[in-house]
Amino acid sequence: MTALNNNNNSRVTDSNKVSFIFDGKKYFGFDGDTVASALLRNNIKIVGRSFKYHRPRGIYTCGIEEPNALVQILSENDEPNTRATVKKIYSGIKILSQNRWPSLENDFGYINNLLSPLFSAGFYYKTFMGPKGFWKNIYEPLIRRSAGLGKPPKEFKSKSIHHHHNVDIVIVGAGLNGLLAASKFIDTDYDVLILEQDNILGGSLNSSQKIKTIDNLDTRAWIKKTEDLIKKSKNIKILKNTLATSYNQINHIIALEDNSVGKPLASHKPELILHKIRTKHTILSNGHIERLISFRNNDLPGIMLAGSFEKYIFRYGVIPEAEPIIFTNNSSTFSLLKSLVDLGCKPKAYIDARDESSIEKGTKNILEKNKIPFYFGSEVEGCDGNKKLETISIRNKEKKIEKVSGSMLCISGGLNPDVHLFTQSKGLIKWDEKYLTFKPETAFQNTITLGSANGNFNFKRVIEEINEKLSLFKINELKIDLESDCPEDLNIIELWETNNEKKSFWSKSFIDIQNDVTTKDLHQAVSEGFDRIEHLKRFTTNSMGTDQGKISSINSLGIVSKILKKNISEVGTTIYRPPYAPLSFSAIAGRSTYEFYDPTRKTSIHSWHVKNRAIFEDVGQWKRPWYFKKNDKETMYEAVQRESKELRNAAGILDGSTLGKIEIKGKDALEFVNLIYTNAFTKMKPMTARYALMLGEDGMIKDDGIVCKINDQHFIVTTTTGGAAKVLSDMEEYAQTEWPHLNVYLNSITEQFSTFNISGPKSRAIMRKVFSDVDFSNDKFPFMSFKKVNYLDTEVRILRASFTGELGYEIYVTPKYGLELWEKFFRYGENLGLIPYGTETMHLLRAEKGYIVVGQDTDGTVTPLDLNLNWMIGKNKKDFIGKRSLSRSDTSRKGRKQLVGILAVDRSKIIEEGQHVVESSSIPSKIKFPVKYLGHITSSYHSPTLNHYVAMAMIEGGNNLIGKKFYVTQNQSSENISVEIVKPVFLDPENKRLLS
Amino acid sequence: MLVINCPYCGERDQSEFSNGGEAHVARPKNPETLDDKKWSEYVFIRLNPKGIFNERWVHTHGCRKWFNAIRNTSTDEILKVYKLNEEPPSIDEFDTTLKTPSGEPDLGSGNFTVKK
Repeated sequence: MTALNNNNNSRVTDSNKVSFIFDGKKYFGFDGDTVASALLRNNIKIVGRSFKYHRPRGIYTCGIEEPNALVQILSENDEPNTRATVKKIYSGIKILSQNRWPSLENDFGYINNLLSPLFSAGFYYKTFMGPKGFWKNIYEPLIRRSAGLGKPPKEFKSKSIHHHHNVDIVIVGAGLNGLLAASKFIDTDYDVLILEQDNILGGSLNSSQKIKTIDNLDTRAWIKKTEDLIKKSKNIKILKNTLATSYNQINHIIALEDNSVGKPLASHKPELILHKIRTKHTILSNGHIERLISFRNNDLPGIMLAGSFEKYIFRYGVIPEAEPIIFTNNSSTFSLLKSLVDLGCKPKAYIDARDESSIEKGTKNILEKNKIPFYFGSEVEGCDGNKKLETISIRNKEKKIEKVSGSMLCISGGLNPDVHLFTQSKGLIKWDEKYLTFKPETAFQNTITLGSANGNFNFKRVIEEINEKLSLFKINELKIDLESDCPEDLNIIELWETNNEKKSFWSKSFIDIQNDVTTKDLHQAVSEGFDRIEHLKRFTTNSMGTDQGKISSINSLGIVSKILKKNISEVGTTIYRPPYAPLSFSAIAGRSTYEFYDPTRKTSIHSWHVKNRAIFEDVGQWKRPWYFKKNDKETMYEAVQRESKELRNAAGILDGSTLGKIEIKGKDALEFVNLIYTNAFTKMKPMTARYALMLGEDGMIKDDGIVCKINDQHFIVTTTTGGAAKVLSDMEEYAQTEWPHLNVYLNSITEQFSTFNISGPKSRAIMRKVFSDVDFSNDKFPFMSFKKVNYLDTEVRILRASFTGELGYEIYVTPKYGLELWEKFFRYGENLGLIPYGTETMHLLRAEKGYIVVGQDTDGTVTPLDLNLNWMIGKNKKDFIGKRSLSRSDTSRKGRKQLVGILAVDRSKIIEEGQHVVESSSIPSKIKFPVKYLGHITSSYHSPTLNHYVAMAMIEGGNNLIGKKFYVTQNQSSENISVEIVKPVFLDPENKRLLS
Repeated sequence: MLVINCPYCGERDQSEFSNGGEAHVARPKNPETLDDKKWSEYVFIRLNPKGIFNERWVHTHGCRKWFNAIRNTSTDEILKVYKLNEEPPSIDEFDTTLKTPSGEPDLGSGNFTVKK
């Protein structure tokens, strides 16, 4: 049989024909059709293959809850797993079915269905256990290849944006209850936001003709009138195509607006808008979802939920089949039956699990009057057919099997209030014995649930409920009449699954259609001990698909409760977690993508570095020159060796602008600095500087830097590049929380200065040329002193300090003149051999001198004592952060790891960073006992000046091991390198160069 | 995401703030006089109760001021915020009976979404 057109009676009009391409073939639908309704118009029943068994699958529902009809949209960056039941078509849309190869009709993976005894519950956990190595090499690649349904898009640039709202009331769902509630707020002082997932208002009013008139108006006329009134009201805003996906703490709602419904993606407009809404009250009128019944082969194409079938008729104007068979356990299918008959269609059979005594009079009248075969107290045992529904086996009230042929079966297993958002908000739900479903019980936030979302399936009670629940807002009462010829209330009996007569591999009774979980899997999981519902869910993967089991999760609770012989409320539900429906990562990312993901910080010299072939290193958000390539062929190793050598022979300059700089001012600045750093600053002379350590309260090194004392009320300190923000935060914390009596002011001045570190034997000569009126002699400008110098009418600070072990100066200049001064250095210094150098060379040079890098040679378990930096500790100070911890039993014990130098006995050997220092000359091929390890290499570089590797290590009791011989492991060999332990200073131990 | 009422700036989203753990753990005035155990209690030991908790917050992406808050950790409700120099409000001001979303037991957490 074929589908019929009912557009005249629906929300789709015949005027605009739209062509679309499905699996390479061209079809026609109408403007307003979803992919699913358009496919149904074209009598396409199979739209995909199932996840595990590759069984042919059709369209099961007509909305967000769809488990089967997931397609890939080729014309939209290959967007996978798109619900065909929601996605609207437009001219030229290209759609591809998923999870089949080579084609939908003939799918190779279908062999899985025959192998299905292998794929029962817990298959993955039981099968992929051993032997060793199989997981990595065989199982994982295999699973990865067959995982998922659609293929991920290859390239995609998001244009999504985020909107923020602060409102008084959010109404989720603009169906009957949402619109009635909204109409109460028209022209009030409340700021109201309405979220509607569809592109039209009215919700399920559009899906059936259950309600004839509202306020004496035809239903659609009433929707239009109400929408117009709402639009005129200045305090209410409607967001259509907007799905509320999360309901978080403090009435925070996330909603996703699809900005491109029914049209191709625009190249310059956001395709998705993520709304972040903070509200005072939330009204949930998001309706209900119909559920299925499990029976043999309840997944065959041609089986559809009854409410969805009706929605296709009235919302999308397509009658998928003129003579469907209806199978129900409740009274809600009356309206489908009546609608079909009114439209001149005649259902082939009507099967109701309820006894004849509880069937509504109206239903019986229609069935008898139209001579429709009916089966009361009966159920569908199962279905058969080749790739689509052909025969239906009915178990009648005498428990005899009767066969009926048919191509469509409409089923209804009852209605579930859509409690997802309510439970996300931490509201409690309760099992309702009358409607056999969970409904909202106690709200945790300011949440009001209305209508079927509240488990109220009685039209007559709608107005009363709204007036009662919204009475707290002190607004006018509604006085509206609803007219309906459907049964007033929902009548339902319990039926979760029917017994299978037939046993074969092919015969399966599904509970989760998307994840191919059968009712048998549930039984098996319980018998294997997974009787807690959260365990059972994960063991069977029940309700873990993209639909999150919207039409089946309550059924699985019903089945499990029967197996366990417990009440459903004792079984409980799994936790409903956001998002309500899958939401694209691009929506979450918004504009925070690519260059906008994280800001890039560049120094004032950056353009010069780029021009001079700098290779950059990311340090936090900063771009720092790592090394400078002399020419395109030069490797990093060569460049670093060259830079190091030339600096020690002449001079080099480093862009140190990224170093954190903090200004400390105030009457008590001296006391504050004394408390923050380990060193003693009281006797320090003004205009001198000191290398200083900062500890945590646990005594471990947190950061290092140089403290410059301008006077007792004014200090400038530097921090490591990565530690700048944290150091400032820590200082502020102590200033505010522990020492509020101290008068200190802290200010980050990192960006206020460009900083250059010039060092090397020629640096004094270069400085004299650049700053010709400054005396750079050793007497007048000793090591660790600084001067303020006038440069182009700005104050430049010059500090004599060095991190390379050579004579060196640090220059602090306003960024405005940073580049100019940098270039001036090269104008005057180039013929003296001045070169630019990067961070890698800096690290090499400092390692030759045994200077540490916090975070490389230390790791948060290292005290200054472990590094033999005792001289930096102001022992006579009464207190500083971490002081007390340095005498704790653990920090003062012997045998802690200490910093030492490491040299290979054969100087030509390469020592790698991170390798272990051990006592044996080789590592056994099979390790039976742990190999004793003393510590590890923290830094290792090839020194071009010494022409061999120099390394530092943190090893147990290192100070007492100087002169001893040990071994260092290698990455690619089990032979270890023989090394000797030395003091961690490899070059110029007398500091002649530094103080020259 | 919580809404936190900064005593200096007013209500802002939680993402502007950082949590500083238990409040009212004063740094000892004379650390040298403490034995290892007492000192390590200050450095390492913090409360983590279920229910009413005085804790510290800092408005990192705002005024950068530290302040204290009383939060019910089982409901995530912030009951009161107060400045550092203010006396902590008496616990008696608040309902100290546990009001978890799901009415779960005093100890531990569990999956209780359904009202029995």
